[in-house]
Amino acid sequence: MSGYTEGIIILLCINAIAAMGVSLLTGFTGIFSLGHAGYMAVGAYTTAILTVEYGVHYVPAILLGGAMAMVVAYVIGVPTLKLMGDYYAIASIGLGEAIRLILENWQSVTRGARGYPGIEGYTTLYVTLAFFAVMAFGMFNLIHSRFGRAFKACRDDYIAASLLGFNTARYRVLSLVISAFYCGVAGALLGGFLSFIQPIMFDMIKSTELTSVVVFGGLGSMSGTLIGASVITLVTELFRPISQYRMLIYGAILVIIMVLRPEGIMGQYELGPRLFRRLKDKFSSQKREPGEGRSSS
Amino acid sequence: METLLQQTINGLSLGSVYALIAVGYSLVYSILLFSNFAHGGFLVIGGYICYFTLKSLGFNIWVAGLASLVGAGFSAVLTEKLAYKPIRERTNVTLYLLIASMGMSIVIENLFVIIAGGRFRALPAVIPTHPVHLFGVATTSAFDIISLLAAVVFLGALQLFLVKTKWGLAIRAAAYDLRIAGLMGVNVNLLISIVFFVAGLLAAVGGIFLSVRYTLYPQLGMITIKAFVAAVIGGLGSLPGAVVGSLILGLSEMLTAGFISSQLRDLVVFSLLIITLLVRPQGLFGKNISEKV
Repeated sequence: MSGYTEGIIILLCINAIAAMGVSLLTGFTGIFSLGHAGYMAVGAYTTAILTVEYGVHYVPAILLGGAMAMVVAYVIGVPTLKLMGDYYAIASIGLGEAIRLILENWQSVTRGARGYPGIEGYTTLYVTLAFFAVMAFGMFNLIHSRFGRAFKACRDDYIAASLLGFNTARYRVLSLVISAFYCGVAGALLGGFLSFIQPIMFDMIKSTELTSVVVFGGLGSMSGTLIGASVITLVTELFRPISQYRMLIYGAILVIIMVLRPEGIMGQYELGPRLFRRLKDKFSSQKREPGEGRSSS
Repeated sequence: METLLQQTINGLSLGSVYALIAVGYSLVYSILLFSNFAHGGFLVIGGYICYFTLKSLGFNIWVAGLASLVGAGFSAVLTEKLAYKPIRERTNVTLYLLIASMGMSIVIENLFVIIAGGRFRALPAVIPTHPVHLFGVATTSAFDIISLLAAVVFLGALQLFLVKTKWGLAIRAAAYDLRIAGLMGVNVNLLISIVFFVAGLLAAVGGIFLSVRYTLYPQLGMITIKAFVAAVIGGLGSLPGAVVGSLILGLSEMLTAGFISSQLRDLVVFSLLIITLLVRPQGLFGKNISEKV
């Protein structure tokens, strides 16, 4: 496999991991965040400092990076998640930018705006694929678990959910903390892939991109998120020769999707046997083929 | 003491420019209940129209300013018609409008990267910036005073428009309930167009002053984040709140720059936002709406 293809696959996995985190928060819990690049930055910097300055092996360092992002998310989330809707969206912009500004001004630890060079290139293809596989497995199990149903209940009607005895505040914070872990790990892998990180890489544009990938794939569909992340990453690579127009097209796509199909590619459905059965039902009811009913068990 | 006075004037001047942007944003929020992230784009459009009418067509600042205000106003209306109207007519999920506005903001920013190039441009010296001595106690630049005055004039005109005219009454009614205003015979589509026109116009005024204060570049629209923060501090959808929040923000930013460190000013802005949201989540002047089950 050539280095270029390998690079794209690594990038794809990293974006997918971060997007899964945001998808849990935005798509499944209904909290709209525009500051998740901040958690990627926390993960990336923690891992970089641990591996470069303390010589920690990269696997625990990446996990600690994710854990650090969780701690930051918890500290931020407990007070701010009381906010609803647009108020939290604006607050999350502020939070993400504040993390970036702290990293930029904390010269002695993060080396400031010039960036943090010389990170060991630990993000090889197999490491990334392994992380992706484990984290995707975890996420798909999570959303089909008791917790996943609780998150969806908070999203659909948090008053009804709280009347049914769900501690909605706790579930909202839990969702944020888990999504911060995913973003932290993605940031840590990105740092190892590029060997160099800079606070400006994790600005609001990156946060917007994460959220739009989730919207593009479909709010409330984890497989949609993976499809969205792949499509957006590949399209971004495809348009690299005309990079001038890349962001323009990207913005236009976002608007067009909202106008034409606001529920995203997958809507709320997951890719799997149930979707195919559903499509088949739809197909057969339209065509009214007589033999269709017998074959399905 | 002299620094304090100077930074206070600078802060009020910066805050008044934020107020122009925040009021337009708040106005749109009060009608359609979503955060219009493309608002920064209107500001950039205004700035560039002003720059090109001054530079390429050689008009004076009054013509250029007028062209820029009208141009930005109409592009705001166009944005609404292209991106928001189809969504607004189909669903009442404001999240979709929010994301579409994020897309529009990316589109507008990158249109200017392609058309005008990403480089920083300085507006010709159309607004005097010579130092002015105030009663012998403080020195400030004429530009700060002019921008403060311009903001007062425009905000005053907006207030008159909202209080004295028929359309102003309709807008205030729609801010309570858009649907019922529509049922009472207000032409809702025209009303929304007018609101967007006013918002774009005010953003262009802010854009001209910001591009003189800093320089003009496609990403200048990012500054509107601070106007959003100001609007949230004041209470989303409340116009007096947007003005007060902007002044608080401008003052704290300039006082931080003057007495602590200019690198920390953005951090102070965001911590102010967090503190406000923790102490008074609905903002200073916001309505505390509890959702119905």
